[in-house]
Amino acid sequence: MSFASLFRRSRPAYRSTARAPGPVERLAAIFQAVPAAPRLLLLPLAMALVLGGIVHLVSVLAMPRLAQASAYQRLAALAPSNRLVLLPETGDGVLPMTDPAFVSAVCRYDLRERPLKVRVPQTGDYTSVSFYTNRGLAFYALNDQAAGRVIELDLLSPAQRAALPEDEEITAADRLVVESPSTTGIVLIRAFARYGDVRDAVRKQLEAASCTATQ
Amino acid sequence: MRLVTLATTLAAAAAIGLGATYFAVTHSRGMDIVRLGAWQGWPRSGTTQADPYATAAFARTGELPLELADGLLFLADHDTAGAPLDGRCDIRISGPLPQSRLWTLTLTDDKGALVPNAAQRHGFTSAELVYEPDGSINVALSPRARAGNWLPTGARGRLQVALRLYDAPFSFASGAQDEGQLPRIVTERCP
Repeated sequence: MSFASLFRRSRPAYRSTARAPGPVERLAAIFQAVPAAPRLLLLPLAMALVLGGIVHLVSVLAMPRLAQASAYQRLAALAPSNRLVLLPETGDGVLPMTDPAFVSAVCRYDLRERPLKVRVPQTGDYTSVSFYTNRGLAFYALNDQAAGRVIELDLLSPAQRAALPEDEEITAADRLVVESPSTTGIVLIRAFARYGDVRDAVRKQLEAASCTATQ
Repeated sequence: MRLVTLATTLAAAAAIGLGATYFAVTHSRGMDIVRLGAWQGWPRSGTTQADPYATAAFARTGELPLELADGLLFLADHDTAGAPLDGRCDIRISGPLPQSRLWTLTLTDDKGALVPNAAQRHGFTSAELVYEPDGSINVALSPRARAGNWLPTGARGRLQVALRLYDAPFSFASGAQDEGQLPRIVTERCP
């Protein structure tokens, strides 16, 4: 009954009918026309919808933080920090939706102490390296053709990047520096196996890739 | 009375909100959806501009999205006419492909798992396929062996086809699109 009494009190504004009813009065009139029992439900229903919308937005935004089976967590069991590990051959691998035509290696990085050096050898075919934060945000990718030769780059946390001396010789083209928005994350190295039977050879070549903390 | 109403309202709000979230992360891969005929692509999901729905969905499944600088993923679980892809039917994927350094076509079930088969054949790469004289592709999906480029469907119920274009020009991800850029998917015959 509480909701009905709330609206009864606001009725005096509606009584001054000298001018044409405004939008508020018209809405109130519609509200009055609804039978009493459903009218009691209108306010809770509207409240539930608005609150539900808020719950939805908050839970979507919190998902990367709360997820229990994100890529970073899945790889935690498989790969130690700052070490490159080749992913097992397909057949429901560790990561869903990976391209079966590629041989993949991962490196779970931790930049808290030292920057990371990533080196990917040429495999004679398409090879790429992509970087993800611990929450799964893709922030950088490079393929062999864009790199021009062997992919070799340094991964730095924002603090380490800021501490880098602004020496022109260091920032020269022979050194590729990538800044990671997070201190932990994933490096994914993928090499294309053109035909099924070159897969083992590509796998061998990819074993030469490395991901190590710099001294 | 007032307390009951309040409790019911809050419970309904939680149910609506969490239900919508569950639906979103299980059915969506992001808001920036690009539709080209039967294919759907999400060019921004593999960039730093990925929207919250994309990040939430990937956090749940543990997928590492293909980076846009690396390649572009298109998924199809319906044919061009809008019918779901059924593994018991004969399905043909034919037409031209856009410019890219290489591409792969992968057949999975509707959950994204590879379809097991004796031939260990889960898709084609741009190097393996036998092309049509005009350079377009023509791939047959069927539970029974077929001539030409055949992918066994294992008579599974629902299928999904993933087309990945590597080192594709960026204009393709954002600019003007028309359906003719990607191959058509036609269900030819159903038992």
